[in-house]
Amino acid sequence: MITHTARRGRLILTAITATAAIVVTVAAFTVSGRSPGHAFPQLHPAAGPANWRHLTLPNGTAVLSYPPSLRPISGDKVAVSAARLTPHGAFQLYLNATPRQGSEQLAHWPAFRLHLLQADTAAAARQIASAQGVKFRGGTGSCVIDRYVTRIGGHHFQEIACLVVGRTSASVIVAAAPTAAWTQARPLLLQAVAAYLIR
Amino acid sequence: MFTHARWAAGLALIAALAAGCGTGAGLYGSGAKPTATAHSAAPKPAVTHHHHARSAHATVTTRPASPAPSVTAPAANPIPQGNGGDQDADNNGGPSDGDGNI
Repeated sequence: MITHTARRGRLILTAITATAAIVVTVAAFTVSGRSPGHAFPQLHPAAGPANWRHLTLPNGTAVLSYPPSLRPISGDKVAVSAARLTPHGAFQLYLNATPRQGSEQLAHWPAFRLHLLQADTAAAARQIASAQGVKFRGGTGSCVIDRYVTRIGGHHFQEIACLVVGRTSASVIVAAAPTAAWTQARPLLLQAVAAYLIR
Repeated sequence: MFTHARWAAGLALIAALAAGCGTGAGLYGSGAKPTATAHSAAPKPAVTHHHHARSAHATVTTRPASPAPSVTAPAANPIPQGNGGDQDADNNGGPSDGDGNI
């Protein structure tokens, strides 16, 4: 009987401890509003390394910097893009800059981007993180990190897409990589985003 | 024995409820000013990730749409896929560019 009571007591204590731990953990995440692995990274606007190359938007309002391992690729006439492809033509790294064309606004950029992906090229898209008031060289931006699956080919990509507003213009910079390679690609892509110059 | 089973079941239920609450926690961190939404903008199927086992990213749940009230939706007539539109990469299964879909 004594043994049974002692075991029951230990069980109760264990249950209380476990419940308290769970409650504290959930409360910590809820109060802080953040979840490990989903934090939006700090961007420190700075020019790229000396050996990086540059593509200026045809309208002259922004400059996309990219590392020498990427090559310019064709795209919309008003935009510039650079990418690193596999020998088979699959995208490993992708950078794009495009003047603002629609009703994109800083306040609603993350939702706009997700809507756009799902209305246009993606079978599914999910937001990972976002941030407002991101400092850029020459302006301020609203950014979103998201994942999506292309309708064609079912390719999984992760991207950081920012609407950047400068003194006289606004444009979008996209930096993407296959989801499976995001961890490795992330530092270089963030560096390219941080090097984006808008006028 | 029966008492133990009840305790175990109760503990499992509490853990499950707490875990469910945890997935609704914010997804943002430091870095300028995070915005307030953290879910898919439309009730599409959740993205499935086959490539790595980072459970924090892979366990995605689909939630009903609750877009920001004043967001202007992109054009309703998306650029045709399969080398449609301007024949650029994102019309052929490549990454999406930054155009406004106009």
